Amino acid sequence: MTEISQAFAGGKKAFVGFITAGDPTLSDTKRYLEIMQDSGVDIIEVGIPFSDPIAEGPVIQNADARSLAGGVNLGDIFAMVESIDKKVPFLFMTYANPVYFYGYARFFARCRQAGVSGVIIPDIPFEESSEVKSVALGYGVTVIDMVAPTSEERIKKVCAKSQGFIYLVSSMGVTGMREKFDTDILSVYRKIRAVTDTPVCVGFGISSPEQAKTMAQISDGAIMGSAIVKIIERYGNKADEHLKEFLTSVASAVHSA
Amino acid sequence: MCKIKICGITECSALPAINTALPDYAGFIMTAGFKRSVTEDFVRECAKVLDPRIKRVGVFVNDDARRIARLVKEGVINVVQLHGDEDGEYIKRLKNLCPVTVIKAVGVEGGRVLPYPEECDIVLLDATDKNARGGTGKRIEWRRYKFDKSFILAGGITDGNVREAIAAVGPWGVDSSGGLETDGKKDAEKIYRYVANVRECRHMDKESKKGRFGAFGGQYVPETLMSALEELEQAYKKYSADEQFNAELKYLLDEYAGRPSRLYFARNLTRFVGGCKIYLKREDLNHTGAHKINNALGQALLAKKMGKNRLIAETGAGQHGVATATAAALLGMECEIYMGEEDTKRQALNVYRMKLLGAKVHAVTSGTRTLKDAVNECMREWTNRIADTHYCLGSVMGPHPFPTIVRDFQAVISEEAREQILSKEGKLPAAVVACVGGGSNAIGAFYHFIGDKGVRLIGCEAAGRGIDTLQTAATVATGKPGIFHGMFSLFCQDSHGQIAPVYSISAGLDYPGIGPEHAYLHDIGRAEYVPVTDDEAVEAFGLLSRTEGIIPAIESAHAVSYALKVAKEYGADENIIVCLSGRGDKDVAAIARYKGEQIYD
Repeated sequence: MTEISQAFAGGKKAFVGFITAGDPTLSDTKRYLEIMQDSGVDIIEVGIPFSDPIAEGPVIQNADARSLAGGVNLGDIFAMVESIDKKVPFLFMTYANPVYFYGYARFFARCRQAGVSGVIIPDIPFEESSEVKSVALGYGVTVIDMVAPTSEERIKKVCAKSQGFIYLVSSMGVTGMREKFDTDILSVYRKIRAVTDTPVCVGFGISSPEQAKTMAQISDGAIMGSAIVKIIERYGNKADEHLKEFLTSVASAVHSA
Repeated sequence: MCKIKICGITECSALPAINTALPDYAGFIMTAGFKRSVTEDFVRECAKVLDPRIKRVGVFVNDDARRIARLVKEGVINVVQLHGDEDGEYIKRLKNLCPVTVIKAVGVEGGRVLPYPEECDIVLLDATDKNARGGTGKRIEWRRYKFDKSFILAGGITDGNVREAIAAVGPWGVDSSGGLETDGKKDAEKIYRYVANVRECRHMDKESKKGRFGAFGGQYVPETLMSALEELEQAYKKYSADEQFNAELKYLLDEYAGRPSRLYFARNLTRFVGGCKIYLKREDLNHTGAHKINNALGQALLAKKMGKNRLIAETGAGQHGVATATAAALLGMECEIYMGEEDTKRQALNVYRMKLLGAKVHAVTSGTRTLKDAVNECMREWTNRIADTHYCLGSVMGPHPFPTIVRDFQAVISEEAREQILSKEGKLPAAVVACVGGGSNAIGAFYHFIGDKGVRLIGCEAAGRGIDTLQTAATVATGKPGIFHGMFSLFCQDSHGQIAPVYSISAGLDYPGIGPEHAYLHDIGRAEYVPVTDDEAVEAFGLLSRTEGIIPAIESAHAVSYALKVAKEYGADENIIVCLSGRGDKDVAAIARYKGEQIYD
């Protein structure tokens, strides 16, 4: 299991990349994850598909639907992730119910076995997080906390004990590409900094190398999902070269920030 | 957190699963001659493989203390468990030979713990049997035992009953051996489930958290919505105690919506059934034709006070959408309704009604294109715009504080009904019967009767084509606990925790979940939940129309159908109340089609 902090070593800006497991098939996902870590992605988020992903925009919703239609299940996803020779930290991103249903202890035990360093579960906010954190901690798995532009007074309690990195949601709404950002991200970043030294990465809506660079300049890293999934949506199982090219350009933009 | 012990390990093949599950203790029977006895060398081999975080417990029965001390000193075992007649002197001697944690097995007889030596560190409660030392596999009585020492509960614990055991006994730790075996061997899946189930007993912490009904409820939503929920909670706390707010709401309910609704004695239906008296709580006579207006007016008024002038809402059959659009029109607010595309076809008349009232209707094309997807879309839209927008949730579901707010606004149903039945009959009803999707009319009809223990509360779920088919929406009958749409409750889901597509002839009941307060009332046995099929509901739809001249909503027809059975169980001096949650005009065309007649709305 790779430490998440490794991605930020020496003050490096991190490029966090997301794809949905099983889109279009698990063997394609395995190849794409390997391409991601070889193309400069510093932290990899593997999406475990859910029937009703309420924090996602249409691009990732459709990826989840494609994956589930292909019959992907959690056991197969664990096996696929376990089989990857990991050079960077891997995280799972999913929703509360598949994890609860699988059993928290069983889920985090398998995470540890598969070398997955952390999880992001957007529908488990701070107030409800102790039930997963207490179990995850026992298996050495980090639960990533999220901060929204509207968190304001909540930042203090949400970030006080944060680990790994803090997922700062760039703007209101769901995941998906945006043309511009209305939130004063720098001021939210500073509020978090006043509470903790945990690195902060910005996500939701980042779709180009330029946007990624801008976000990485005012934080500790940029998170990108829909823009990468969009490439897979378009090219299916033949996205290898397109992914390499795009990811490399985003990585160099983030790393030059 | 409750400590976890797995005992009676006899084969190396179990070790990888134990390492993955990571219990606190692994036990080995080290005195020869018992069913699961193993050798010192076997435990030495296991010590090399077992995760060092798992403490190895040597279990002994009247064995040589010097041998035990040697095994501890050699590092073969870390903890000693004694199952024989070892007394305080023995334990003192052992501790003198080597300082070690000692667990002493103690029997329970007649609900009382037998005497045990003070010198032990931890007590292990087990059923006693002189012929089967080292664990009998039998259960002791599960109840709270008074103890000044940490104690482990053993005997008959399995992966399936461990949560129940912890809830009943409240031990410091649990121990299982035979309960984790299949055909005499430790079963990896049972080990995972056992450990997971104990760790998840932290769910009992849930009960002390905000917005819980027992363990059910909570606030499982993205961080982007949390500030909006906090704002709503504070506003509701303020205005629900505000005299002027309550007076304004009462005025709207009485003068505009037509409250109080009638409690009507259905004489013909009663005669037809030949049981007790059947009363209908006529929510169908409310303005807009259903109970939904009670909640919509309440929330719209609350939103207005909060300075939010835009309402968004999900709707299934369209009744809540119409009610919200109506409240928005009355209070001069903007309104957008999300409705599954399937439902916009089934309930085309209500779509036009909403448009007529000035609302914008979005046909939701994601997922199964029904109510659950409309809720998803509404939540997504709310995260987009919370500053000026209130999500007027239509049922007793979703994240806290919605289940409480909606229940409070619907509780007017039982508040009136209780008074009405007492004045008409001079006694409480034998039962209150209501249909349940998310459960807002049911909780409204139940609420003021919950304290009347003699009144049966019966929720009628939509069974669709039957609970043994996949085409059902009966959550209590077919669902499992889960976390979805902001709450910990019961949900219809597949074998991987994906939310299952559900089906019912009624667009208002085909929701894959149930409100958390209903899950709680079911859990504690205060309310009964029964499945009613499409066919039964359609039958009751026709019957009530013919006997009483009242065309019920197909949702309410589910309650009518089951009420006929309930009425037969009681004599003529008793009575039951059926919540007639809505009127059936919207369903007439669909029922005609169901019966093979082609008519057009």
